[in-house]
Amino acid sequence: MSDDAIVGIDLGTTNSLAAVMTPAGPEIIRDESGNSLMPSVIAFHPDRSVSVGSEAKSGAVANPLTTVYSVKRLMGKGLADLAEDRRVLPYHVVGGEGSAVSTEAPAGGRDLVKVDVNGRLMTPEQLSAIILSEVRARAAKALGRPITQAVVTVPAYFDDAQRQATRDAGRIAGLEVKRIVNEPTAATLAYGLDRQEDATVTVFDLGGGTFDISILKIAGGVCQVLATHGDTHLGGDDLDRELIDLIAGEIRRRYGQNITFPPATRQALRSFAEAAKIRLSDSDEAAVEVDLGEGRTFRRTISREEFESLAAKWIDHTIEHCRRALADARLAPEQIDRVVMVGGCTRIPYVRRRVGELFGAEKLYTAVNPEEVVALGAAVQAGILAGVRRDMLLLDVTPLSLGIETLGGATGKLIMRNTTIPCQTSEVFTTYVDGQTAVDIHVLQGERELAADCRSLGRFQLRGIPPMPAGAPRIRVTFLIDANGILNVSAREERSGKSASIQITPSHGLTRREVEQMVKESLTKAGEDMLAHQLIDLRNEAGRILKAVGQALAGAGGALNDQQRRMLDSAVALLKARMAGDDPDQIYAAMEMLNDAAAPLTEAQMDEVLRKTVKGRKLDEF
Amino acid sequence: MEEKTNQALPEKCVRCSRPMTSPLFCDYCQTLHPVPGVVDHFQLLGLPRRFDADQQALHESYVALSRHTHPDYHVDDSAEAQALSMTVSAAINEAYRTLSDPIRRAAYLLELLGGPPSAEDKSVPDGFLETMMMMQEELMDARSAGKAEELARLGAVLQTQQEGLMKHVAGLYAELDQAVSCKATRQDLLHEIRKQLNAVAYVRKLLSQARQEQS
Repeated sequence: MSDDAIVGIDLGTTNSLAAVMTPAGPEIIRDESGNSLMPSVIAFHPDRSVSVGSEAKSGAVANPLTTVYSVKRLMGKGLADLAEDRRVLPYHVVGGEGSAVSTEAPAGGRDLVKVDVNGRLMTPEQLSAIILSEVRARAAKALGRPITQAVVTVPAYFDDAQRQATRDAGRIAGLEVKRIVNEPTAATLAYGLDRQEDATVTVFDLGGGTFDISILKIAGGVCQVLATHGDTHLGGDDLDRELIDLIAGEIRRRYGQNITFPPATRQALRSFAEAAKIRLSDSDEAAVEVDLGEGRTFRRTISREEFESLAAKWIDHTIEHCRRALADARLAPEQIDRVVMVGGCTRIPYVRRRVGELFGAEKLYTAVNPEEVVALGAAVQAGILAGVRRDMLLLDVTPLSLGIETLGGATGKLIMRNTTIPCQTSEVFTTYVDGQTAVDIHVLQGERELAADCRSLGRFQLRGIPPMPAGAPRIRVTFLIDANGILNVSAREERSGKSASIQITPSHGLTRREVEQMVKESLTKAGEDMLAHQLIDLRNEAGRILKAVGQALAGAGGALNDQQRRMLDSAVALLKARMAGDDPDQIYAAMEMLNDAAAPLTEAQMDEVLRKTVKGRKLDEF
Repeated sequence: MEEKTNQALPEKCVRCSRPMTSPLFCDYCQTLHPVPGVVDHFQLLGLPRRFDADQQALHESYVALSRHTHPDYHVDDSAEAQALSMTVSAAINEAYRTLSDPIRRAAYLLELLGGPPSAEDKSVPDGFLETMMMMQEELMDARSAGKAEELARLGAVLQTQQEGLMKHVAGLYAELDQAVSCKATRQDLLHEIRKQLNAVAYVRKLLSQARQEQS
């Protein structure tokens, strides 16, 4: 296989993982202990080092303010979208009008969020980039070669801003994102790879934070998406939150409404809720025990029925989305041959029962590891892109209608949802005032009639229109949704044939300049972080050497002559002085000097050990 | 309106000069070609300009073309070729989307044949508006009463009505095929098709309302 293999990455709300295409088929990349899933959790330590994965997750209870998880929920969102999430997330999510990393003037109406970890402000893109970097590093280690290209999956129902944010995160992580592929579609690729029969398949994908339903036709190696629906804010996190609210409510009733939950307790509640949810998939009940301090302990058993009644309203939503997708595909549940269950939440018996009720229980198909299917599919897509699998063709759709704001605040739809991508349309704009040289276009995504109810993608300003009487210019604006589901806009004035320039102000998300700035910053920051890490290691190592030398001096110090002793003392003093500094090279050089100066001591020590051993033997012999 | 006649398509590959069977790519050297400005959806997918288009042939042609043009197969090409694969794929997708749906296909074909556009000819069949007014009232009643079953029933009625109208349209297109030489008959038929399609648009709107209310 070539050195520049493209890996498939499932960047999940809860867990992330990678897979790679091999001649034998797609394979999940595992660490030394055989784990494929890496928790999408980042811990920021006081010494400025950062850890990602299980280690970060296990410290979440102790360090609630500096442990960041569920970043995917923040991607491409504004502060106003996240009121509910901010209530439960222990770390600080703040507004980011303007940008901490950019000197650009804050753009009008832009609604960004940042995570504030001890005053260090980071965008969701940068945080996701940290996770992607770790996945990348682990994959590189497992495969024994550098990774520079990736296919990254996103929920099918991700809008343009969320897709752009994901692609930007890849770029900041130093990955060339060859394709953004929809998670249910990826799952279908993995499912359909070895199956030759033609079928109409539904993918029900309920993950940690997002829900997708896609309906596809598989025939002769062609996977054609007919319709997709979903909710990018519905998942296992919501079920956890129901349990948290239940437990917290009962604690308040028992110990008074005024009891406060410090971040550590909130984080602990979250861990208990998640554990209880998982336990209830196999058992009829789960015990919960929360230490509230001051000798107070809250104990409670949650039954499966109880959990199901809490989960019902969320699962009702998923079933409703299924019906809508079926209507869009103009299919009845009976016409679906298979339902592929994807995502950790499809392990929940209640979810399986409800989906089975709609489609027929015998149609449900669950992979051995529903958490791994998406990454496997991403690897298949990587194989298609690399030309390894030319027999498969993937035809995906755009999940949301694209429109522009028209006079009076209505939405004029240009591209309908469930249109196969890539797709394009063009619209002619003109001017209203004589000599007008710029036109504003407000681009929207969504199904609602009023512009205010749709998702604002951004404002596009056409500039450089030649001055003409009002209504004379004909500016043809082309809206193209590419194979990543991302919008590209271009414009041309038809009378003059000039392409008009477009300045884009994304409503949520970063400008191109900001992304580039972050890429640069991540490189230098990575350098700084690495340096910090290296310094810590070196200081630890130096400390060990000093301690060893001290012990050896106490034991065999008498064996040194005066000159040797002076040399050793000055080397010790030098290392102690340089350890306080920040230059790793200087510390390293001093360590080398001390090692040299301590050589006679080491020899003397060895002699001493040898003598004792010999003595010991003699004693034994008697 | 004049009927748009089939345009001559480029016959030779710009790169290797070999004859091409599709205007979009060379079978021999795989070079992609830009979509010719004059080409219609039928030509693009290599099908005869007919309403009763062979759906299987349509799908096969669509897939075969996509296998050459889809951006997934051009990721390592030059930026230019990548952009071309995107616009060519978009054109194929648009053509397939139009021709695979009977209502869209009927409207598109009417335009190609020089039939009256909906903006100019808003006529509907006799008695149609009265029926629709009644349906609309029933829909509103069912909605305000929150009767899901009644909404579903009305939806089914509208669905049947739409199918009936489209059957009529198919019959008119078949007649049109017979009336090759008589210009007056053709104009009458095109006008009649427009009338039916206007009615279909109306039914479709109510149908989507009924479905929205249901969910």
